[in-house]
Amino acid sequence: MNPNSLQIAEIWVYLSGSPLFALIITLTAYEVGHVCYQKSDKYPLANPVAIAVLLVALCLYLVDMPYQTYFEGAQFVHFLLGTATVSLAVPIYRGIAALRARLIPLLIALICGGVVSIVSAVSIATLLGADAAIIGAFYPKSVTAPIAMGVAERLGVSPTLTAVFAVVTGILGAMLGSTILNLLSMKQWWQRGFAMGTAAHGIGTSRAFAVHPEAGTYASLAMGLHGILGALLIPLLKNYL
Amino acid sequence: MIPGLVQILLWQGLGELVSHFVLPIIKGSVNSSLALVSDAFSQHLGVLFVPAAVGVILFLPQLKANAMAIGLALVVSVVLTISVTALVLRFLAKKDSHES
Repeated sequence: MNPNSLQIAEIWVYLSGSPLFALIITLTAYEVGHVCYQKSDKYPLANPVAIAVLLVALCLYLVDMPYQTYFEGAQFVHFLLGTATVSLAVPIYRGIAALRARLIPLLIALICGGVVSIVSAVSIATLLGADAAIIGAFYPKSVTAPIAMGVAERLGVSPTLTAVFAVVTGILGAMLGSTILNLLSMKQWWQRGFAMGTAAHGIGTSRAFAVHPEAGTYASLAMGLHGILGALLIPLLKNYL
Repeated sequence: MIPGLVQILLWQGLGELVSHFVLPIIKGSVNSSLALVSDAFSQHLGVLFVPAAVGVILFLPQLKANAMAIGLALVVSVVLTISVTALVLRFLAKKDSHES
């Protein structure tokens, strides 16, 4: 081995041992995803999280780093997830006037949507013979990912699978939402937005804001409420199903 | 931005305490710096669950084995959820406007 490559190897040992490497690839991958998302005019398939996950996974494969080592470094980012969850209170606070005016219909629609989301996913997966570990991760999938992962921990299922299902659900909802709502000839923006936020949390909300501001406000309200109700009710519900 | 961040961290701490003990009603006011940090968080919330979501590489064999069930469950469920939420909302809103 020549001295030059030895030096590089030493630097590599140092870098891969510190959180720096994990942080850099996480943030860089997300930034690449974010730029793609903006450039593609917020096309749902160009979701920054999906792109970032693919890039980080590829990167770990290339440098042959185990996931555990990566996660140790990236846990600083992971910690902030809990902090960010708290800030979900702000969209609810902003939408409180809308909520007051239509409290009962919104809550009933949210609960119906939430129950349908769980029952349909769990029963289809059970019918098709999926593993129990996977079925469990379906329960919180329509709840915004940071809360969904907390719920998953409480249910004793994998927070990772839940996060992945939540992100995929968000992407699907954002892609299919407008078509479904048009087929049902839904005319009111607030109803369309609330349905998007209930089914497809943050990614659906971002889509709803791109379509119409009123839809976006109601979508973020739905996302926040679904987060709160989901955190409280899904652990209870799972005991009865 | 920093005062807002401090406030959110304090709320997070309070939330942890609350979730450990009782669940009283929290009353708080949202000021502008809190809203600023909150918006920044919400806009880039995605980056925060990248580390956990990358863990999907540990589940690849399991996901592959159940690909059909997972795909169908996710697609059908999201279509039904959007439809049911929207239809219930429209039904209730109509009923409401007839009564008033």
